[in-house]
Amino acid sequence: MMTVNYNEQLSALVDGELQGEQLERVLALLKTDVQAQQQLQRYQHTSDVLHGFTTKLHPVDLSERLALALQDEPTHTMRSQSKANVLAFPSQLWKQLSGLAIAASVGALAVVGVMTQPENQLVSTPIQVAAYEVVNDAKPQLASSNRWTVGEPEVEERLNTYLVDHNEYAGASGVFSYARVVSYDAGQ
Amino acid sequence: MSVDLELVQRVQAGDKKAFDVLIMKYQQRIIHVITGFVHDPVEALDVAQEAFIKAYRAIPNFRGDSAFYTWLYRIAINTSKNHLTSRARRPPAMDVDAMDATNFYDAPELKDFDTPESSLLNHELEGVINKAIDELPEDTATAIKLREFEGMSYEEIAQVMDCPIGTVRSRIFRAREAIDHKIKELTGEGE
Repeated sequence: MMTVNYNEQLSALVDGELQGEQLERVLALLKTDVQAQQQLQRYQHTSDVLHGFTTKLHPVDLSERLALALQDEPTHTMRSQSKANVLAFPSQLWKQLSGLAIAASVGALAVVGVMTQPENQLVSTPIQVAAYEVVNDAKPQLASSNRWTVGEPEVEERLNTYLVDHNEYAGASGVFSYARVVSYDAGQ
Repeated sequence: MSVDLELVQRVQAGDKKAFDVLIMKYQQRIIHVITGFVHDPVEALDVAQEAFIKAYRAIPNFRGDSAFYTWLYRIAINTSKNHLTSRARRPPAMDVDAMDATNFYDAPELKDFDTPESSLLNHELEGVINKAIDELPEDTATAIKLREFEGMSYEEIAQVMDCPIGTVRSRIFRAREAIDHKIKELTGEGE
């Protein structure tokens, strides 16, 4: 049953100014109450005329023919929205993967950067400098630090040959070279 | 959340009836816009119907990035252009940006063509509405004018008129009732 209060709410609906429970109630009423539908249409017509959207005394109403046309259309379900949610998950995953990829790239760049540094730069690392401090005379020690010095010349020769071979097998790897030099100096 | 968005979400959730309210709300505006492209009134109605069907089909993709009417307006414009193209007629050179959608009705090029009889009745309708507004109490007339002519929200009108929002809502309702009563008299429904 339509009341003045409902009519006022229908008028507010025309202006898009209805919310919460009142909106719920009015929308529920409009589903079943033809009188409410007609009243809403009248208020909307008044508004349309004042806005200049129509100048017709009896405005064209597409509702019925559209209701017929839409009868065969499938009813939308939340499935279409949940599909969107499913699609949204990989986008988060992609974000995380992108972050990982960037981190990996930065890591790889750092490694390549270290690998491409000339050895003489590595020699001047603080560790090497620390070694200089211990022996005071840095340059001769540095020159001799590339050779293994032990008491017996044969052993020394074998060890140095081993060191050279190892260096060759380690090849282009500056990292291994760096690690070797450091461990060599530390072990000395 | 706006009423339109609430209605759209209901349609997306399977409430077909909620789409009826959107049709009721926007059909005159959409017909008016389409009439600017498709001058034949019968064809214009077919195009309007097609536009609403397209909107219904596409509504699951509506995410509320723009106002519902702006979205619907774009569909209506595209449907009109496609209609003209399919009939080997050129769409009008003048185009309207979606941002101007709300002011679209002001474009003189888009006024629909009335017969002399309908023009007379429509002129009479305009007169009846103006007379109805003139006869309203001042506060009620101001409220409906601020709403319909200035496009103010209830909150803005309440600030301007220095009264509660509930009073604004009530005044606008009374104004509509009075105008509706006059229209009924004109059509003979009020007797």
